[in-house]
Amino acid sequence: MSEHPAGLRTEQLTVRYGGVVANSDVSLTVEPGQVVGLIGPNGAGKTTFVDAVTGFTGSEGHVWLNGRRIDGLAPHRRRQIGLTRTWQSGELFGNLTVAENILVAARPGGVAALGRDVFGRRRSRNDQVVERALTAVGLEGVGRALARDLTLGQQKLVGVARALAGTCELLLLDEPAAGLDSHESLEFAGRVRAIAEQGPGILLIDHDMSLVLGVCDVVYVLEFGKLIFTGPPDAARTDPAVVAAYLGVPMESVDA
Amino acid sequence: MTTLIEFAALGLGLGAVYVGLSTGLLLVYRATGIINFAQGAMAMWGAYVFAQLQKDGSLVLPVGTLYFPEPPGVAVSLLIGLVNAFLLGVLAHYLVFRPVRRAPALAQVVVSIGLMVSLQALAVIRFGPNSVKVDSFLPDGTITVGSVELPQRELTMAAIMVVLAAIAWAYLRFTHSGRATRAAAENERGAVLMGFSADRLALIALVMGTLISTVSVVLGGVLTGLSPTNYTLLVVPALAVVLVARLESIWLGVAGSLVLGIFQSELSLLSTRSWWPTWAQSGLDQVLPFLVVMVILFAFGKRLPARGTLQAVRLPDVVLPRFVPWKALALVLVAGVALVVLSPTYRFGLTTSLIVAMLALSYVVITGYLGQISLAQSAFAGAAGFTLSKLTTAWNVPFPLAILVCSLVAAALGMLVALPAFRIRGVQLAIVTIAAALAIERFVFDNYSLTPATGNPIGRPTLFGIDFAVRSGRDLSRLGFSFMVLAVLVLVVLLFVRVARGDTGRAFLAVRANERAAASAGIDVRRTKLIGFGLSAFIAGIAGCLIGYSQGQLSAESFSVVVGLTILAVAYLGGITSFGGALVAGLLGPLGLVYTALHQWFDLGDAYALITGLGLILTAILNPSGIAGETRHQVEWLTGKLRRTRSLPAPREPADAAVAPSAPAETRRMTTGV
Repeated sequence: MSEHPAGLRTEQLTVRYGGVVANSDVSLTVEPGQVVGLIGPNGAGKTTFVDAVTGFTGSEGHVWLNGRRIDGLAPHRRRQIGLTRTWQSGELFGNLTVAENILVAARPGGVAALGRDVFGRRRSRNDQVVERALTAVGLEGVGRALARDLTLGQQKLVGVARALAGTCELLLLDEPAAGLDSHESLEFAGRVRAIAEQGPGILLIDHDMSLVLGVCDVVYVLEFGKLIFTGPPDAARTDPAVVAAYLGVPMESVDA
Repeated sequence: MTTLIEFAALGLGLGAVYVGLSTGLLLVYRATGIINFAQGAMAMWGAYVFAQLQKDGSLVLPVGTLYFPEPPGVAVSLLIGLVNAFLLGVLAHYLVFRPVRRAPALAQVVVSIGLMVSLQALAVIRFGPNSVKVDSFLPDGTITVGSVELPQRELTMAAIMVVLAAIAWAYLRFTHSGRATRAAAENERGAVLMGFSADRLALIALVMGTLISTVSVVLGGVLTGLSPTNYTLLVVPALAVVLVARLESIWLGVAGSLVLGIFQSELSLLSTRSWWPTWAQSGLDQVLPFLVVMVILFAFGKRLPARGTLQAVRLPDVVLPRFVPWKALALVLVAGVALVVLSPTYRFGLTTSLIVAMLALSYVVITGYLGQISLAQSAFAGAAGFTLSKLTTAWNVPFPLAILVCSLVAAALGMLVALPAFRIRGVQLAIVTIAAALAIERFVFDNYSLTPATGNPIGRPTLFGIDFAVRSGRDLSRLGFSFMVLAVLVLVVLLFVRVARGDTGRAFLAVRANERAAASAGIDVRRTKLIGFGLSAFIAGIAGCLIGYSQGQLSAESFSVVVGLTILAVAYLGGITSFGGALVAGLLGPLGLVYTALHQWFDLGDAYALITGLGLILTAILNPSGIAGETRHQVEWLTGKLRRTRSLPAPREPADAAVAPSAPAETRRMTTGV
């Protein structure tokens, strides 16, 4: 067995912003098909961690994807080999249609694509790629709308669909459920599981405790940039360090 | 050594002008976040008024002239010149800059370029195209320090400008409204809460900046005389200095200005030495600022303050072009028939329009699709043109191949200029590209050892024994040439449509919308920018070759920075996001069909450039999607109306015929394989 098996593995990932240590020695593993939660209070460094893993901020330490070391690769390279992410703020291409947003990820251009554009024959597989990604997030039929005309909740789902298009080995979801109501959130949890069953591992970051604890196989808790807990969701609910650090109030009162 | 020091002191003269311009630029930027490309042109107006009063006592106004019985004294002339500068600043604030205070960076750049083009054109109209000499009113002697004789004039200039820069600095540092200006640069709402109108602060800064810059140009005129192009473009080295000053510090700006002036002076000394290669004598003064900008950006690129640049270049939406065979055919037929029936003069106008449309299309690629501001398109075109001259005369490369090779050369140059775009965007990229364009113009196009003054003839284009040259005997506008241009345009448009509708066009639009999200979707942003600059320079290069063929020989004037800016103006006027816009731009462009017609009917003279500049300002403020976009909206509205009343379909809009309006719903459906 290889030392670095399939899925995502970070080893002592550390991010410094000037004198501030935003992430300190964060090591975690997400296996294929697994849904892993990363939670923590505001400012704990969750988004920083996603940025570091995907290459949008500089970091120390190592990142492996499917046994391949990828720290040092540019963000778009990591995306092309299947490490995909969504953004808290959606970050869609507002001037493009939903379908085009997804196609960007499926076929990101480049020199070879330029050659195909100019000399090649037109391909007609576009619609399938788009519909498959949209179905996975439950947004069938919105492909022709302009991305900026959707609600924020829908935009985030399109973000997920965009992350699923093309190669997706591991999906990092940065607060995908913010902006969804509780019913939609429940529905979304089901979709997250369904996506994971298709193969990719998922790292889910969210404030919605019931979503994270309900859907995840494993939970990591981050505080002040350090991991303070690793284990199954049930144990997280009762872990005194987590309860104290996360909110200062018992978990049950949050769930209620 | 003595000579070196003396030349350094001489360099202070030019340095003083840079101090005035960079201080003005910084003041305006600090107050509004706008880089005013028209700073030099604005400063030039007051200086011209001063110079003309000194010369013959006539007070030249934008319209009309007043006459003094005899030339007034220096003080009175200076005062009148400054009053003009003051009024110009006030007008520019209310009519030009205030309307775009919250507009995206591109609109701000475009508006200030419009002002620059307009003022330069107005200066040509009112004061003539030639250089106006200014009699020196500064002390002319020398100060002897040890064995070195220092020129009093340059020292005085530098001293005056340093004092004025100090006043600007003190204003920002010590006065209440100056502090509020600095606060507003950080956080506009904060300044408003402090009880200041950001608008009034902007007005003060613009007027003060204009006055200081005007003084520097008045002084500079003593050294060099005044000419419309010269001082308009002197803003480019000043912009380089402003980047060195990190868009912030007046003192860094002063130091940078003086050092740049000194360096240029020393270079002009060194370049006369025998060991200096003759091919490197021309245009050094422009190459230096460009190199400075490049080095600074590579060293500090990411740390430059981001005000006014963070915001993405927000542009009107792109409607993906759709290739509709019968419409395209109709358009080509109309053009073809027009070429046949028109008289030679108009035929040449229409042919030029087709070429300008191609140049405008290169702006559509780079700005409309990729969202990058490039002011160097004319330089790319020129590079191809001059290569064409060498290829066809020295190496006898045959006709269509030569165009391809030259355009590839232009594409390579475009990718080179794109390198800074990895680090910067928005207005800073505009600065780099205009500096690059000016450097290329002065160092290559105006360089007699590279492009002989005797002319750069271009071989006759022939293919399979058919002559496509523009002239033959007394026929100055041959039909064969026009058809060749039309055919090339059709090919270029096909290329554009395929790319725009393909993966590449989509990647361009994604980068334009959000670079971070584009990277997270797997787009190699740098490579995409390289491809975009390369492709747009390639198209510009084709246009440059055709300009070359249309004249039979090349002159640097065809590809000057100012020509490039004028074409940017018409491209923006037409609509920078669509092929239809490029066609409109072609019709309106310099020497194009509309230009020719106006020239035949009225004696338009130099007013054309003025009208273009003013049109650009109005478009940027009122109607950013350009004429074609506006027409499309109206056609869509009309079509909708007619459909509802079950009437006949709306008449076809010629400018947009081949680029039919397609609702977003249709954009992904590949109706045709072009």
